Amino acid sequence: RRPRDVITVQLSRVVQSRALRAHPVHGKKSFTVQSFGTGDKVKLPGSAPNKPNIYDFGTTYEHIYRDLQEKDRSLYTQNGLLHMLDRNRRIKPGPQRLQECSDKFDVVISCEERVYDQILEMFESREPVDNTPVHVINIDIQDNHEEATIGAFLICDLCTQLEDSQDLEDDIDELLQEFESKAKRQVLHCVQFY
Amino acid sequence: MAAMEVGNDVQEQCVELLNEAALLTDDVKKVANLKKVQELIIHQDPALLDNFLDEVVAFQSDTNAEVRRAVLGFIEEACRKDHEMVPKVVANLSLLLQDSFSVAVVKRTIQAIGNIYKITLQWLSQARSVTDLMDSAWSMLGQMKRQIISYVDHDNDGVRTMAVKFMEMVVLLQTYSEPGSLKRQEFCLDGVPMTLKIARPRKLEEEARTVFAEMIKFHGSPHISSVNLMACMGSLTLIARCRPSFIGQVISALESLHANLPPTLSKSQVNSVRKHMKMQLLNLLKHPASYDSHRNICTLLTDLGASQSEVARAMPPVEELRKRQR
Repeated sequence: RRPRDVITVQLSRVVQSRALRAHPVHGKKSFTVQSFGTGDKVKLPGSAPNKPNIYDFGTTYEHIYRDLQEKDRSLYTQNGLLHMLDRNRRIKPGPQRLQECSDKFDVVISCEERVYDQILEMFESREPVDNTPVHVINIDIQDNHEEATIGAFLICDLCTQLEDSQDLEDDIDELLQEFESKAKRQVLHCVQFY
Repeated sequence: MAAMEVGNDVQEQCVELLNEAALLTDDVKKVANLKKVQELIIHQDPALLDNFLDEVVAFQSDTNAEVRRAVLGFIEEACRKDHEMVPKVVANLSLLLQDSFSVAVVKRTIQAIGNIYKITLQWLSQARSVTDLMDSAWSMLGQMKRQIISYVDHDNDGVRTMAVKFMEMVVLLQTYSEPGSLKRQEFCLDGVPMTLKIARPRKLEEEARTVFAEMIKFHGSPHISSVNLMACMGSLTLIARCRPSFIGQVISALESLHANLPPTLSKSQVNSVRKHMKMQLLNLLKHPASYDSHRNICTLLTDLGASQSEVARAMPPVEELRKRQR
């Protein structure tokens, strides 16, 4: 059986990626994972809510790390941003944008309803080429450290079940319902086509 | 001379890869070898297609489903590259469609047949004359088409999804483009000459309408799964956007679904379905040809919780609507 390609997607607003957080846990399992943003820019918290740090997609984590270190080392150490960027730069070079990715995936998982909507819009605006199905799933995970850690385990747990399924299309409805009652969270789910 | 050398080199590499694949016990490596052969032949030296087709297709009897799926990928690309390959592979497709060991293979076969069916109609339409080989390939594809359409009642949910997508392809392929259609590069009935005896445009169109009616029926069936409901809804909306004459029927199908959601859906499935429907309706609203149905669409959208600004944003510019009214 083919290993499934799963991606987790999150807002570019915070690279403190709930999606990337799920990476190391995923990495130990047999499925392949990539993470993406869906917004226009990479936005990170700044010195005030109305002063975010904004970068273009294509900027490396390394660059962002140095930039923030220069701007205010103690602030960004204290809020965990530098720690997170340090971890991220060891996973991949920089943030990637989903809309620019030409790979095909079996499952796309988002951590916020607004991102789920953006993903569906992206698929709806494209014309299906070969009708390969892709399952889009949303699990709401709040944007803070604690939730992101719990979220990583939840996503990992779900991915393991999806991976273990002999016939994903036939099993997915049931798997998601079980997951919902176990995790006590509602999921959104829909099928789109490449 | 240089070209010869490249050709020989590719040929040798293919022989080596295929021989190795035949002896390999590791299925992942076997698939990788077949993919390499596909890459070499299709993209570097398509002239070798004829020599190697049988050798690659022989792997369809492999015990591993992924290997059989790789063969399907090869068959599909081969037909795309050279239409003459179609008659040589139809019998194999028919066997793979019956694969009783793996639904994954059946699903992949449906996907491949969809593309090959489309390619073949285009080939027939553009050929100077239709040979017996072409004729029999087309009739076999016709049989497979009917079988796939019947799979909308298959036991397996994923097979049903692929059947719905196949039906969508049949409807779009076998109808004429219309003014105001979503622009698509795809081949359709416009390109089929009236004189094509084995595929009469009028009959094809008639069939497309029957298939569309079956999709509407499936969309309204009370025990449809949420995945298939959303897949079917998406297909119907795409058809409406590409063939605006279907818009009315699609909107009434959405209305009756909204009034009567399948009782088997869980609470969160209902949320997902409603969200999906909202997105489909906004897409329809954006289409200038849906003007006559705007009231129905907006009522549905309001019921589904769309905000005024969301509706306003999806509304086409006034000038376009005026043009349409004239």
